Amino acid sequence: MSLLEIRSLGHRYPSSRAKRPVLNGVDMTIEEDSITAVVGESGCGKTTLGRVVAGLIEPTTGQVLFDGQNVWEMPKQQRAQYRRAVQVVHQDPFSSLNPGLRAGDSLSAGLLYHKLASRRTVKTRMLELLSSVGLDANEELLERFPHQLSGGQRQRLIIARAMSLQPRLVVADEPVSMLDVSLRVAVLDLLLAMRRQHHLAYVFVSHDFGVVRYFAAGGRILVMFFGVVVEEGATDDVIDHPRHPYTYLLREAIPVPDPRVARARRETPPAERLQAAPASRGCVFANRCPFASDECHDARPPAVEVGDNHRVRCFFPERVPQVSTVLQDRAAKVSVDHAD
Amino acid sequence: MSTATDKQSANSSAPHTAPLIEVDHLTVAFGEGTRAVRAVDDVTLTVGRGDLYALVGESGCGKSTLAYSLLNLVTPPGRITQGRVSFAGRDVTRMGRRQLESLRGAELSMVFQAAMNAFNPVLTIGRQVEHILAAHPGVFADQAEGRAYFEHLLQMVQLSPGEVWDTYESRLSGGMKQRVAIALSLLLKPSVVVLDEPTTALDVLNQRLVIDILRSLYESLGITIIFITHDLAVVAELATRVGVMYAGRLVETGTVDEVFLDRRRHPYVEALVSAIPSVLSGQGVAHAIPGQVPDLRNLPPGCRFAPRCPLARSSCSDGEPPLLADRQGHAVACFVVNEDHDQDLVVSQ
Repeated sequence: MSLLEIRSLGHRYPSSRAKRPVLNGVDMTIEEDSITAVVGESGCGKTTLGRVVAGLIEPTTGQVLFDGQNVWEMPKQQRAQYRRAVQVVHQDPFSSLNPGLRAGDSLSAGLLYHKLASRRTVKTRMLELLSSVGLDANEELLERFPHQLSGGQRQRLIIARAMSLQPRLVVADEPVSMLDVSLRVAVLDLLLAMRRQHHLAYVFVSHDFGVVRYFAAGGRILVMFFGVVVEEGATDDVIDHPRHPYTYLLREAIPVPDPRVARARRETPPAERLQAAPASRGCVFANRCPFASDECHDARPPAVEVGDNHRVRCFFPERVPQVSTVLQDRAAKVSVDHAD
Repeated sequence: MSTATDKQSANSSAPHTAPLIEVDHLTVAFGEGTRAVRAVDDVTLTVGRGDLYALVGESGCGKSTLAYSLLNLVTPPGRITQGRVSFAGRDVTRMGRRQLESLRGAELSMVFQAAMNAFNPVLTIGRQVEHILAAHPGVFADQAEGRAYFEHLLQMVQLSPGEVWDTYESRLSGGMKQRVAIALSLLLKPSVVVLDEPTTALDVLNQRLVIDILRSLYESLGITIIFITHDLAVVAELATRVGVMYAGRLVETGTVDEVFLDRRRHPYVEALVSAIPSVLSGQGVAHAIPGQVPDLRNLPPGCRFAPRCPLARSSCSDGEPPLLADRQGHAVACFVVNEDHDQDLVVSQ
């Protein structure tokens, strides 16, 4: 039995006047001790999906099963256990800690509520947690308010808070996008170390394939476009051999720290129609797709297998160029040209 | 070439651009007396006319404070304690209110970091444009001409005037707001635009769009652009020249090719590049930079990067490394890499 399963999930916010739902027919299976990355642009529904997984939003349609049980029909006590077992690390370390609570208060609340520590043992437990996330394990730190901590320290504290409840699944929603580049890898490494120690599963939400390749190595990727999972497969397969045009365009858009690559990129026309709105009929991506045909505007493509456990929702996956070497080859060519 | 302040190296290494903004031994301190913290510490750099200059560094390195000083926007408790900033030969730090008002926006404009939150929420974008035009008469013959120019700018940032003019900022997405802010900053036809973290809060596709748009504005309008970022990948994609700051000091400056491809590079820059998880296969893994950015109230002795530096020797703590430039003007402040270099180097500041 899978740890968590999502079946034909649909969601629409009650106040929304949008034509499309935020999530539209999403299926997802999360195994114990696995990493699933959810990749897409702002507004694609990836954060909403994360919140549904964590039980923070009741979806309009579809089912969320935890250990095979529908989480919205669980008895109260079992539901409390599910809420403990699935924790969230939010994107913004500046707004996900209560500014009026000291670090120790933020950290102790869950431990005491779920009876994972008593009044007598809670301080010792908190100091252990601090040191497990690479913070100074001293009582002075527990007395600090969030504004007295740096961004990196806050994110570590938030990770400690999530881990304090001994979760089996952690939803990490863009956990490093607000951090300085030099801190990102350290925080990703910390999350990965937590997984090795506690064998927990991650749902990792991100818009950056570079970060995803690093974090979800050996795991799976779901690429979302406006509520629809357009591609899913093993991390390396999806990043190196994308078969959906959207994945391909996302992959090509990523800035690379090499001016030769940038020059090569400038010699080709910029990716066009990056902004077109999602289509309401047919394939959701058709308006932006450089490879679309008439039928893409008429019918919704089914999910088709394009490789080992690799699926795309596209009528013409064979039209997507191979990406993994395109920029590197061009960069090599340009640097040869410049050397002449 | 940009950091060269002594006459000799400035002459020998200015192949393409005339200096437009000269920052000369600038120090900006926050607080008073012995407790004062120098956010910008004795920085000298030159931005040439037609440069697309990236100012790079992590939170707290002083890059935003330096950018604010370019427009004399540093406010108490911060103040310029040493040095000067000149724009086209005029000392910005000595300008009166009147002069600054005619400088800001019209000659030198700025897009602030939270540009998406910098709009008036109860006025339409069009009304805000009209206010700017009314405050700066003389740029256009009349409001209609100003409006036409703004609509032209909106098209350059790939927005359609119809979806922006009568709209409130709350109806625009983050990426759209950033682009409207860029268009607004160009309204009075400044020769220089300073952008603080223009791509930071955006997802990959919007980032790509802003990079492409800034590059095409730079090429078609012939403006000088200075932008601040902590992301070296964005620098490589967009900039022509780079200045890297660490703990208040300028530690490296040069063209993008020099900073990214030369063998002589500051170990901090090296570390920043390898901290970016690469999307390309077979590029090896990313490495975190050990330790933390030093507290400006409690700096390590000597080189400020030494405690985190893989190349550091004990002698690195003996003094602050000078910024040394080669003949092309590529300057690095590091004892170790400068010593290993065979070319003649001159003191850049």
